[in-house]
Amino acid sequence: MFRQHLAIGRRARGMVITAAVIALATAVAVGTSSGARTATPTIAFVSQGTSNSWAAQLDAVARKTANRLGAKLVYYNGQGDATKQLPELQTAIATHPDAMVVVPLGQAADTGPVERAMSAGIPVVLCDSKINSDKYTSLVNPNPATATVPLAEWLAKKMHYKGDLLYIGGLPGNGTTILYDQGFHQVMNKYKNIHVVNGGNANYSISTAKQLAATAIASGKKFTGTWGVGGEAVTGILQAYVDAGVKPIPPNAGASVTNGNLRLVIENKVQAAMLQFPPADSKVCVETAYKAAMGQKVPKEINISKLPQYGNLYPPLNKYYKPQYTDDYYVGTDAVLSKSELAAIHLVK
Amino acid sequence: MRDGAGSASLAKNEQPHAARAFLAGWGSGSRLRVTAVPIGAALIAAALLAVFESDFYRSQNLHVLMQQCSVLGIVTLGQLLVLLVGGIDLSVGAVMNATLIIIAVMNRHHTQLATSIVLSLCLGVGVGLVNGLLVSLRDVPPFAATLGMLACIQGAILVYTKGVPAGNIPRELRPVALDGVGIVPYSLIICLAIALVLWFALRRGTYGRKIYAVGRSPEVARRVAISTTSVRVSAYVMCGLFAAMAGIILSAYVGYVDPTIGGNYNLQSIAAAVVGGVAFTGGEGSVVGALTGVVFLLALLNVVTLSSLNPFMQLIIQGAVMLVAVSVFQFLKKSPAN
Repeated sequence: MFRQHLAIGRRARGMVITAAVIALATAVAVGTSSGARTATPTIAFVSQGTSNSWAAQLDAVARKTANRLGAKLVYYNGQGDATKQLPELQTAIATHPDAMVVVPLGQAADTGPVERAMSAGIPVVLCDSKINSDKYTSLVNPNPATATVPLAEWLAKKMHYKGDLLYIGGLPGNGTTILYDQGFHQVMNKYKNIHVVNGGNANYSISTAKQLAATAIASGKKFTGTWGVGGEAVTGILQAYVDAGVKPIPPNAGASVTNGNLRLVIENKVQAAMLQFPPADSKVCVETAYKAAMGQKVPKEINISKLPQYGNLYPPLNKYYKPQYTDDYYVGTDAVLSKSELAAIHLVK
Repeated sequence: MRDGAGSASLAKNEQPHAARAFLAGWGSGSRLRVTAVPIGAALIAAALLAVFESDFYRSQNLHVLMQQCSVLGIVTLGQLLVLLVGGIDLSVGAVMNATLIIIAVMNRHHTQLATSIVLSLCLGVGVGLVNGLLVSLRDVPPFAATLGMLACIQGAILVYTKGVPAGNIPRELRPVALDGVGIVPYSLIICLAIALVLWFALRRGTYGRKIYAVGRSPEVARRVAISTTSVRVSAYVMCGLFAAMAGIILSAYVGYVDPTIGGNYNLQSIAAAVVGGVAFTGGEGSVVGALTGVVFLLALLNVVTLSSLNPFMQLIIQGAVMLVAVSVFQFLKKSPAN
């Protein structure tokens, strides 16, 4: 009796194993064939990760977009650090998803893995930053090298093409900083009567930017314009001017738009022009990855700055400021996330 | 038992002559050298500045420099205590970040400022206590213990804020950093008051003797019935407390919620202390030296900013001057004349 049971058990087990092998083989065959696509594609989202409010909004928008499209979004947390993101990226590639969205934190470090993913037939959408290779499916990015040009031109005009300009830099060697600087210097090199006073690099830190700007202001120079690489640098510059009691605060450009920067500019009546580096563009990143996963053709580059909702902002800026949200809110996030979703990531006052 | 308590009775009866001599020597010539060299270097630098960068002496610039010195000064005084007992604290920046988050978040919930300040200080003390206990009782290397603590605090901040540290710095806190007596900000007065108390404690008090003794030779300290555990723990607790105080003042100075606010202060406070003659090996250094290191570092940063040099050149110059300063200091300290 016991042996009979054992024999039946063995037969059943054999059948189950055979069925599993067939199912696995089918799944592998479907998964690796370039033409066949699953109804629910899996998108690996290798994010900047839990690090700041920009990333929190980027992630929330990406999740919602994937949900709306009916895609399965598998999240990989880069923890705001290129060295921590690298193993996450490699793990994501090993799972062979239908497509990947990568927010590169290391322009050089991420190049090899992205190229390997492409060689393995995984479409890769780069979101908000580049790598040192053109082996990717699509790049969704505000292009600071071109977007900063009209901002710098606007600032030069406001300065009447002369005087001292306080410059607070970003992070030396960082891809976005390099692009920012390209556009800025391309314009300022044309105007010989504008003297760029280098205040140092803020490394995307508000407190460092404020310390540098406060020192430059205290030197007694009367700046006719100020430029900060990124939102943190501009916040630091404006805060330093406010605390030093200097009025009027000279015109400013270079900030990426946050509600906090808009508030400071409006409260202190500063003429300012800003660049959009919207976390809400992860919507475009995920949509592009979804299309690629479904075998559709996608553009090699999508310049976010050229989309009407993500263009540069010029005065009057009052219409963009949303007092119901905190300083960390980025313009455009509420076009994707509902009020309760914004509240869940601490953006509603 | 790891500290001197177990051997106390034995040590009391047979306190060796060498140990007494060791304790007596804590305040002699060597400490004078470690203090005099950075002060001398600072005076020379001040004279050179008057010639080459006269903007440096503008009252506005000195006010800004004093604001910045007060924050780094308070953190460095805490770091000094930990370095004196042969440790290191890499969690000061994280404590400063946490302080900012506490103040901003509690302000959002309309909690009284005094409550958030007390809570911030308690957090600093708590972090210092855990660091001290890990190092003293569990023998965890100070570098590892405080680095682990840094990761824990940063992680806790991210879990709590979800990466969005929303809130504002209360307006009533801001005068601490922005206002003052003449060009001297209140924050610097607080820093100097702490420095004075610490200077007195280290130079004249029993506590100072114990700190130097534990840093120079924990073994000898145990033999003369000094509880090395309590001395080390107290140093870490003070360091955590000072980091929280610096975090509060920095929040008042910046006036904006910046989740990376304390990031630079781990290395800056260690660098300032070392430039000011505090030894990594423990038992050597002074309050005056550490504060001179602070002034030296920030004045250097101030001057390169005023000079409007290329940022890459700024980094090279800062690094080179620091290396030269530390090398000269080490050379003078070891020279036969000394």
